[in-house]
Amino acid sequence: MSQIELRNVQRIFSVGGEEVHALRDIDLKIGNGEYISLMGPSGSGKSTLLNLLGLLDRPSSGNYLLDGRDTTTLNDVEQAQARGGKIGFVFQSFHLVSRLTARENVELPLMLSGIPIAQRKSRVADLLAEMGLADRLDHRPDQLSGGQRQRVAIARATVTEPELILADEPTGNLDSKSGGEVIDILERLNANGKTLIVVTHDLDVGDRAHRKLKMVDGLLAKDLRSNAA
Amino acid sequence: MNSRDIFRYSFQSIERSAGRTSLMLLAMAIGVAAVILLTGLGEAARRYVTNEFVSLGTNLVIVMPGKSETAGGAINASFTGSTRALTIEDAIATTRHANVVGVAPLVVGAATVQYSGLEREVPVYGATKDMLSIRKWRMAEGQFLSESDWTLATSICVIGSTVSEELFANSSPIGQWLRVGESRFRVIGVIGNTGTSMGVSTDEVVIVPVASAMTLFNTDSLFRLLVEANSRESIDSVRLFVSNTIKARHHGEEDVTVITQDAVLATFDDIFNVLTFAVAGIAAISLAVAGVLIMNVMLVAVSQRTAEVGLLKAVGAAPRQILAFFVAEAALLSLFGSLIGLGVGLAGSWIASRYFPSIDMRPPAWAVFAGVLVAIATGIAFGIIPAQRAAKLNPVEALAKAK
Repeated sequence: MSQIELRNVQRIFSVGGEEVHALRDIDLKIGNGEYISLMGPSGSGKSTLLNLLGLLDRPSSGNYLLDGRDTTTLNDVEQAQARGGKIGFVFQSFHLVSRLTARENVELPLMLSGIPIAQRKSRVADLLAEMGLADRLDHRPDQLSGGQRQRVAIARATVTEPELILADEPTGNLDSKSGGEVIDILERLNANGKTLIVVTHDLDVGDRAHRKLKMVDGLLAKDLRSNAA
Repeated sequence: MNSRDIFRYSFQSIERSAGRTSLMLLAMAIGVAAVILLTGLGEAARRYVTNEFVSLGTNLVIVMPGKSETAGGAINASFTGSTRALTIEDAIATTRHANVVGVAPLVVGAATVQYSGLEREVPVYGATKDMLSIRKWRMAEGQFLSESDWTLATSICVIGSTVSEELFANSSPIGQWLRVGESRFRVIGVIGNTGTSMGVSTDEVVIVPVASAMTLFNTDSLFRLLVEANSRESIDSVRLFVSNTIKARHHGEEDVTVITQDAVLATFDDIFNVLTFAVAGIAAISLAVAGVLIMNVMLVAVSQRTAEVGLLKAVGAAPRQILAFFVAEAALLSLFGSLIGLGVGLAGSWIASRYFPSIDMRPPAWAVFAGVLVAIATGIAFGIIPAQRAAKLNPVEALAKAK
């Protein structure tokens, strides 16, 4: 069984009375532990696809099976639970809550899923230490560099031990050195068995993936597997 | 997620956005302080008037010479125009009733009092023994007028404490002869400080037997006749008795006005209840204004924090949890705001009472509780709309807004 299976998925937005087909008839299977890059020009639908995979959005038609379960039948609460437990997001602009410290930001998903505070504290401290941020626990985002912020965001995405990591341009706001560090961390997570899907414009980043998807005009134009893995 | 986490998260939000928080706390605090101060003021006015009347004595029937009526008209024309005197004999007649516990005829005038070269212009009361208990005066020194024949003009007097201090300095006035107008009176007592009653302080007065006062001021009529009933329930029967007795003595003519303090008090009570509710209404409006302000600031907060809401949704927050965060935040803000308002309101009424001791501005307990509870309820109610807006945000759009 594939971890992810999309069947005839369409996503249609209506913009100013006109229908825009952001995704057309996508059929896609992704197995556990794959490392996938998703590339394509702006407006090709790759972000829309990522949002669908992350359960932030719903397909207009078609089915999305996550771990064999059809997500289109889930209600808001079940979707939220699935996002909290199975999926970790990493964003281009980090999306850290600016008034919260690094530790508090990483704690958020645990708090929302009801983990007691004592457990939260130790898990978060361990994870941030793994990210090389042991001395930055009580710093706010504006006291951290871009690379450090993205590492906090990755810690937040992985703190609930999700099987699927979705990264939307994770290096887009970073210089090449910290971008490289972030990719290293993400690849390490993939090496530990997590499925990793990276949306990127950066060809070097995209080439490192084991499976490269290319989107054009809402269609999957290419699906290349390299044997590097 | 338990409620401690919800409140911790909301508290952090309040704590770490000082500008927005202080604005909302100010709005709530002003609302609650307004409730407390305004109702306190209304209550103070009511208490002031009630006290003025109660200090006259309780269960009183008050007789005034003369009848207020519309003069003129063909039939009544010949009976109006002259006022018969209310005499000491009338007063004596009203004592003959089982429910009457005290009768105090009163004559009021002003005279110059003199002692060893010092002069002072003072109000002079002509009274009898019962005046002491009816007006609830206390003696500081010596004794009050004793029971005696009311028609006897004896030369004794009781003086107020200010009169005593001014004329006798530190020596005891008891037994000294005081010149009042053209006559001399021996001082037998000093009245203690009882505060002001109907605008006249007992500290300032000289009290002589009623017959002496009538001689002094050359009058044959009492100014007032105070009749005290033994209970609130018997006031009506006493009033009827007094009215009938004096009517019979005045050849069947109703030429005096008889009022009961009870009726006057009840009227004032009604007026002040209406006043207090009007004041509470004004206060309620200020709470509603505070609530609307909270709603606006919360709406701004929600749109400022759209990205945060999107992020929360992305990391697994259900709509109910988002709702809980924002409602908890509104609740905490209203709670802290009301507590500050409570402090400011109570401090304000305390300070007012310090500067104006005669006005007791303590707010009624119901107003304090209602003010705080309504404030918190308003804050929560007006926090729900922005919170619902946050909970309904589309996560994809919310996240996109951050850039």
